[in-house]
Amino acid sequence: MAKQPNERPTEINVEDLLRLKRSERPSEAFWNDFDRDLHQRMLQTLVKKDPWYLQVLRGFSGRIGQSIAVAAAAAVVAMVVVRPAFQPVVAPTSVAVAQASVVEAVRAPVEVAVAELSLAEVAELNRAPDYHADAISVDTAADDVNFVRDFGMESMQVASYEASAYSTDSAHARVSFASTGVASLVY
Amino acid sequence: MATTGSVSKTFAQAQDAPLSERDLDWAVVQRVQAGNVGAFDQLVQKYREHIFSVIYNMTSNREDASDLTQETFIKAFQAIARFKGKSSFFTWIYRIAINSTMTFLKKRSRRRYISYENINEEVSSTEIFESLTAKTRTEKGALVQELQEKLNDSLQKLSPKHRTVVVLHEIEGLSHAEIAEITKTSVGTVRSRLHYAKQQLQSYLKDYLA
Repeated sequence: MAKQPNERPTEINVEDLLRLKRSERPSEAFWNDFDRDLHQRMLQTLVKKDPWYLQVLRGFSGRIGQSIAVAAAAAVVAMVVVRPAFQPVVAPTSVAVAQASVVEAVRAPVEVAVAELSLAEVAELNRAPDYHADAISVDTAADDVNFVRDFGMESMQVASYEASAYSTDSAHARVSFASTGVASLVY
Repeated sequence: MATTGSVSKTFAQAQDAPLSERDLDWAVVQRVQAGNVGAFDQLVQKYREHIFSVIYNMTSNREDASDLTQETFIKAFQAIARFKGKSSFFTWIYRIAINSTMTFLKKRSRRRYISYENINEEVSSTEIFESLTAKTRTEKGALVQELQEKLNDSLQKLSPKHRTVVVLHEIEGLSHAEIAEITKTSVGTVRSRLHYAKQQLQSYLKDYLA
């Protein structure tokens, strides 16, 4: 006997209606086109080489990469903080030349000067109106050509601009004087 | 082509023996990672219809769904070297699909035209359709089209997050826990979204409910 749906209609709820959507399905022809297009796109992906920066970024995804990224970021920050120290110092061959360089800088104010001077020389410098020098060490060995000193956890004062607009940045550093007499800061 | 039954069967199997399903996929993934690019096709064949179904029901547009399904597999292919197997492959690929679709829906400020898939003819002979035909006194062919439009329209009225949960649970047959893992939310959040979404749908589809 044929079913008579009009006699006892089935109760319908939201779930029943949504289940009908499972029957919305593409045809076999659709999947043939889909597979063909997908294979083409995947081949293009295989052939196409990523730009160098994406490859570098991908290389940075590991833990080692993260360490390198952190180190690079620290280096950038260090350069921003200390960069002025590299600019105005004229290559002195001795402490005396370094002093002369700084004194000259006082006449035409420089951003930063770094030099090893005696306490007396520091006092002399501080008499100049536009410059302030901080004594960071007192050591006669500083006259040696290949003098190197580790400051460890001490902080080093880096002076910038004129005394009136004086600002300091502290940084842990190693200061060395190479044969050229140029002060170098190593982080 | 997999039937609707096989969709739920796949996940039922995954629930009964999650390790074996997961291990099978992981074995294929490892082959791809070892350089056997052709093995990726096995994963495409296994999941393409599920992924398409999810995206199609999220977007209500078959062309967009086709593009996004392809995009999902290409993204998975590009990233498969970094897949460590911490989650199952199906969770991972579903997550890629959902994220791609969410991004697409955010970009698509205005709704595009809706393009439907055909409803399987077998459906129109089900008890539900018989009952609906009697209730609405509409001819079967017209009712199929009307209902299809109304269902898609109602789904599109839901927010993408609520739509995702409804599609994954009610249409794809995924469990609350699986949806929580895919969407990176708690089971409680999934349940609450599902409850709210069904309330909304109930009001949109009240004309068809007994």
